[in-house]
Amino acid sequence: MASNKKILLKVVILGDSGVGKTSLMNQYITKKFSNQYKATIGADFLTKELIVDDRAVTMQIWDTAGQERFQSLGVAFYRGADCCVLVFDVTAPNTFKSLDSWRDEFLIQASPREPENFPFVLLGNKVDLEPRGISTKRAQQWCQSKNNIPYFETSAKEALNVEQAFQCIARNALSQQNQNDDLYNEFPDQIKLSQPSKSSGSGDSCAC
Amino acid sequence: MEDNCEGCMELFSQDGVLLKQAHSYYIQYFNESGTLYITEYANTKDRFIEWKPNSVTVHSDSHDSEWSFVNAIYRGEQMSPQPPDSKPKYIKLDMNQVRSFKVSKKNDTMTFFDGKGEILCHFFFQHGNCFSLFAALKGLLKTTVSKRDKNIHIIVDETLQLNKSFATLDLFQDSQSASIVWGFVRSFQEKPVETAFGAFAKIGNTIGNNFMPSSSPQPIEEEVITNDVKEYERGVESSDGASPKDYEIIHSSPELPSRLQYPRGNPLSYDQWTALQDSEGRIEDVEYTKLHIFRGGIAPSLRKVVWKYMLDFYPWNSSNADRKTILGKKEQDYYDMKLQWKTLKPWQLQNFVQLRDRLSLVEKDVTRTDRTLPFYAGDNNKNLQAMSDILMTYVMHNFDLGYVQGMSDLLSPILYLLQNEVDAFWCFAGFMERVCTNFDADQAGMKTQLSNLYILLKFSNPTLASYLDNQESGNMFFCFRWLLVLFKREFELHDVFRLWEVVWTNHPCNNFHLLISIAILEKQQSEFIGEEMGFNEILKHVNDLSGKLDVNDILDNAEGLYYQIRESSQLTNEVRQILGLPLIAESSPKDDSTDSIENELMANVDKAYENGLHTSYF
Repeated sequence: MASNKKILLKVVILGDSGVGKTSLMNQYITKKFSNQYKATIGADFLTKELIVDDRAVTMQIWDTAGQERFQSLGVAFYRGADCCVLVFDVTAPNTFKSLDSWRDEFLIQASPREPENFPFVLLGNKVDLEPRGISTKRAQQWCQSKNNIPYFETSAKEALNVEQAFQCIARNALSQQNQNDDLYNEFPDQIKLSQPSKSSGSGDSCAC
Repeated sequence: MEDNCEGCMELFSQDGVLLKQAHSYYIQYFNESGTLYITEYANTKDRFIEWKPNSVTVHSDSHDSEWSFVNAIYRGEQMSPQPPDSKPKYIKLDMNQVRSFKVSKKNDTMTFFDGKGEILCHFFFQHGNCFSLFAALKGLLKTTVSKRDKNIHIIVDETLQLNKSFATLDLFQDSQSASIVWGFVRSFQEKPVETAFGAFAKIGNTIGNNFMPSSSPQPIEEEVITNDVKEYERGVESSDGASPKDYEIIHSSPELPSRLQYPRGNPLSYDQWTALQDSEGRIEDVEYTKLHIFRGGIAPSLRKVVWKYMLDFYPWNSSNADRKTILGKKEQDYYDMKLQWKTLKPWQLQNFVQLRDRLSLVEKDVTRTDRTLPFYAGDNNKNLQAMSDILMTYVMHNFDLGYVQGMSDLLSPILYLLQNEVDAFWCFAGFMERVCTNFDADQAGMKTQLSNLYILLKFSNPTLASYLDNQESGNMFFCFRWLLVLFKREFELHDVFRLWEVVWTNHPCNNFHLLISIAILEKQQSEFIGEEMGFNEILKHVNDLSGKLDVNDILDNAEGLYYQIRESSQLTNEVRQILGLPLIAESSPKDDSTDSIENELMANVDKAYENGLHTSYF
């Protein structure tokens, strides 16, 4: 953090209990899946070095407990986030319904400078499971209503779309940081993320 | 422990104890290091203080000069030792002979006196930790602090607390004995030490040993003791001044006295547990039992039994017959509650979102709780089903609290150990009674705990506290997991058993788990500060400690920390309050209410008993 060259991107993953936050993070970073992850208590993070747009960055991914009452302690963990990843379980409609409150809660607690432009990415996880509770279309509509949040349908278990999703997350986080670093004028508008992902069933994706 | 100790139970043991003064018979052992025991004979219930020398002697010049006054009178004898066989091999002191004892200010010596104030034995504790012995004695005996010297503890005879019964039963057939007893009672002008209470059922023993056989029985005369002690003290103090004797200082900070070692004791064994019960299966001395568990834990095979008491499944004073009734009732209640949710129709659940959400959360967590343990591994595991049923039934048991993440972590070890659904449910419910505020919807309980942790840390280790403060970590969030599930995620299962049962004893203070937290943190201090860790690094470092901690070492240090804090001259009421120590705002209200010492004593015993039963520590 001391070095000027090194870029640290802070990403926070939020969503209901059991939607797969820890599994997604671990699949992305360790390329492994386990049924035996314990429910997250408190908070933890993992880091990964990667190249985004020819720049070496360290992505720090924060994983927190999903039960609502534990969010009151979240403020310390949300602070300074460059991107917020919202996760729901495509087989569990309740987890989709909570997305609004997760997003609102994050904006309140993290209080980013420009809440309306703060980058979120939505992940519909567990696409390997049946039956579907939330259609792709419904998720896409929600994303559009929130200023075109990029949307990925993932399976942490089968490593489906996880890499792509996090690449997009990293880019969004980086652009957010650049804006905050007064590079703002180069990106007057929210980056449009409208290209469909190459993976099946997925809707909006990262423009990059 | 000793070959000639048949049918005797070891209640306490501690090594590193030097014999400094005793009958001249034992002169060959003076200044030798040995092990001190408290033993009890199963048949007679007679208790003894025993001291056995180690084979290796620890004579040194500095010791000799430091303690020269002790040896002076025997110097000649020591020059020409007797053949070893002609002398007793170890010291065995009948506890009934001991009428008072004195703990030095530095907690490194203990002296036992007889009824005339004569020194029976004087021991020096190499590690300065005579608090363990003191605590054990307090568990066994009722004592009161001498009015003239707060370091002298006078043994209140058990007869005292039974005096009501004596009066009604008219046990004293000759009036002389009776007057001795009542004179003895009246001689106490001070409030007895409130925590001390012992076995109630040793009337015969007590009378027999203290009052009946002696031709001229003497009630305790405090004057006599104090005079002797004064003389004795002069010697001690002059020698104390001669050389510093801070043994084994592990940690010191400007505010606190030195950290002493409190090595763990032996686990409570099956035989000991059996001996603690009366003929009807009641535990006679709850505080002593808890103290033993605090010091050494419970033998693994016995946990299944004792945990039911620790977790309020059975009251400590329940008889065998009571327990049969209680078990029947608890089984019935459990299955009634289980039926309540098991028999809900699908449409009922459909329209009962609060319950449905809780049940689904339970399902989610059960499938990811300790699945690496063979006990919970694999598909269609019956134990997982039991865990799920228990948690769902708990939702019905306490709907306001319901199910909150972390609860499955608290249940898992209990179910693993008890292997019975009904037992595990009620023990879990008992555990939840203690920790339910951890799961408050507004997290108020956790916030209080984190803030109390910070207060204790700031008091005991201001350097570390201020470092954490500067790193935006003064909120102690990085300890959240430790506190929420009482270190369940930090240790392997058997260490969790050990740590929990220690915490459940409520010894030596309230919120001992916060001192455990500090004991862990202070070991990380050099890394935190040396590596200039910030908020993120501290959290990561603490999370990564999981599986790398030594439970015994941590308990030793946490206990040591407790005594450091307690003995600190700058102890604040804020800290006292957290640890459940008496506050010092008001001076002791009733000093000499001479007429109803008996009532006061009984009230204190009741209070101590209440405290023992209601062991909530948050």
